Amino acid sequence: MSWFAAILLPQFSLQAALRLHEEAWSQPIAILEGDTEKGRVLEMTEPAQRSGVWPGMVATQALARCPALRLVPRAHAQEEVVSTLLLETTGTVSPFIEATAEGLCVADLRQVKAANWEQWACGVVERFAARKLRACIGVASNPDLAVLAARHAEPALIVQHPGAFLAGVAISEADASPELITLLRDWGIHHLGELARLPRSELIERLGPAAGALWEQAAGRAQRELRLVRLPETYWETYEFEHPIETTEPLLFILRRQLEQLTLRLAEAYRVAAQMTLTILLELGWGQPSESETGGKRAVASGRKLFPSTDGAVPSSAPSANSPDRYERVFTVPSPTGDTEVLFRILHTHLESLQLAQQPIGVRLRIEPITADASQFQLFESPLRDPNRFGETLGRLAALVGAENVGVVQMEDTYQPDRFRLVAPQFQQLAGSQKPESSESRTLGLPLHRFRPPLPAQIHFQRHVPTWFSSLEAQGEVIDALGPYRVSGQWWDQHAWSFEEWDIELSDGSLYRVSKHQGSWFLEGCYDAPVR
Amino acid sequence: MPSPANVISLAAVRETLAARFPEAAPLPVRHWTTGWAEIDALEGGVPHNAVTELCSPAGCGGFFLDRVLASLRERRGLAALVDGGHAFDPGSYDAGAFPRLLTVFCETAEQSVKVTDLLLRDGNLSLVLLDLQAMPLRSLGRIPSSTWHRFQRLVERSGTALVVLTPQPIVEAARVRITLRASWSLAALQRPRRELFEKVQAQVYRRGKQVLPMEEVHSRIA
Repeated sequence: MSWFAAILLPQFSLQAALRLHEEAWSQPIAILEGDTEKGRVLEMTEPAQRSGVWPGMVATQALARCPALRLVPRAHAQEEVVSTLLLETTGTVSPFIEATAEGLCVADLRQVKAANWEQWACGVVERFAARKLRACIGVASNPDLAVLAARHAEPALIVQHPGAFLAGVAISEADASPELITLLRDWGIHHLGELARLPRSELIERLGPAAGALWEQAAGRAQRELRLVRLPETYWETYEFEHPIETTEPLLFILRRQLEQLTLRLAEAYRVAAQMTLTILLELGWGQPSESETGGKRAVASGRKLFPSTDGAVPSSAPSANSPDRYERVFTVPSPTGDTEVLFRILHTHLESLQLAQQPIGVRLRIEPITADASQFQLFESPLRDPNRFGETLGRLAALVGAENVGVVQMEDTYQPDRFRLVAPQFQQLAGSQKPESSESRTLGLPLHRFRPPLPAQIHFQRHVPTWFSSLEAQGEVIDALGPYRVSGQWWDQHAWSFEEWDIELSDGSLYRVSKHQGSWFLEGCYDAPVR
Repeated sequence: MPSPANVISLAAVRETLAARFPEAAPLPVRHWTTGWAEIDALEGGVPHNAVTELCSPAGCGGFFLDRVLASLRERRGLAALVDGGHAFDPGSYDAGAFPRLLTVFCETAEQSVKVTDLLLRDGNLSLVLLDLQAMPLRSLGRIPSSTWHRFQRLVERSGTALVVLTPQPIVEAARVRITLRASWSLAALQRPRRELFEKVQAQVYRRGKQVLPMEEVHSRIA
């Protein structure tokens, strides 16, 4: 005989809303369907129920019964996450699963060999508990019977004798049209056991084939094929705050909870996180990230506020990759890992320096998984002791001095002097990629120390040779000079550039490089000079 | 004469202490070989687990950085350059080692110290260069001496070699101090750099050891 397990998440909407706030179950809270004032209570916590709040009540009526009641709108995005979790966790039980209804799924247990079904079912309930979900499980010989068992389970119910179980099940719980149920009630039939005692053929003759299907259910003989679904392979969590938040603390609290859940799921799938996408949903309006790493000088070292006050300086740089109502950032995990602490530190470091123009109203975290084997190979190859810590340090450095001031030098493809940019280091990829090179220096002359920006200067010429030099940094008679070195480029477009460079030696022995650009002279750098 | 049974050797005491207090036990001293004969002659290079101060005018400090870049290319190591005065000119060096050199441009001495602190606490890179040569002495004087002692404690734990490039001696906690001297004319700008190296006079001082003049270094090498 094959067995089916129905897994039900009672109070589905309430569980979805309060999943990351276990302490909220001890408070009077109700989920509201519809508008806050005209909406009706959908589900409520036990304290709210004790105060006389019932499903279907209008919000004002519920508040009259329980003044301390907190009304929470349905969190559809979180319900979607919980639905995914339900399927994913059930998928660890059996590959043949059906998404029967919201918060309910059925698994075919044909490949499960359990000596003790009761113990097995409790184990499944514990798996859900680890995901902060309360599940009820019913195990029976057919899907519909398993669903009925799940509705009566506390938290697990194994139906060994369908007749005895169905005798006490109300007929309204069966899967049938309300008209048929009402008619049968009028006949005085209130339980499925009573219906099963009626002759099937005569019932069909009087009430039609729908009554025959109901009789099959009542007799515990209804067999049907499951509408199998494919297991989702997405790792994401979302949370909508009840009110817009001002500081990072609630955001970090939720992110940690989300990471704990996601890493748990990753571990069960033998995966590790390779990339994280953090999305902060902003209050309506133009949310503009003003990270200090873009400005460099706006790091909020001790400030924990996520957005500045109205008189605060909000940068006007519009986000290119972010839409108006959200801030999104992708984090590549330097060394893919499933360690919650490591992943949390990456997010924490970033949030420490983040400022937003609008208040966050929600947060979404998505993880791109990778197989642990692939990452393990890189771990041994890594030239860094702790790549994740290094990634975190880079984030802190970027927050301190600005992202454009941290990285490895990448020369630009131009002959224009001093043209380079700093790009994110790829130390991981350097491992084993290059052979040792000669240490022989192939450069000429003395290294230059640049003044950035170049200092305005004045220079006097006599017969096209510099004779006197003056700037904020140095001044004096020019006793020797090399030049002019004329360089130019990109004459074909609006970025055309042209320099005339000289290397000069002053009477005190100091050596400088000066240049003429757009008609003005500048002190570019120093080769050698007395200590200032 | 055999030692009595109740006498414990000093080595045994050290071993016991190292086993019980591993954090307090000094790490074995390693050195970053610079390829600069005068500097490597004393103990094999710039010591890890210690702060080294390199005092020189701006021109000579660049030679040391050149040697570090060459060493990175050769040994496939990783290092960081904290450029205090935003003066580093990549065009003056071979670009081959740039992918191995994390560069951080800072605006102030205070910022440079913070960046160095973060890199030393990170401990992933085996060499950190803090270039303060282009900074005015006034601002360097404002760096509290406790900062250098803190850096010394950090590198002792992490095993990172910290080299502070300064125009004048300011790092009290430096275990090794290297001074570079040279005099240049414009003609030097057209000479191969390997030739110019030979004209730089290096002196290496080790805390607790005798001053090592240039002549002695050369005689050791010979």
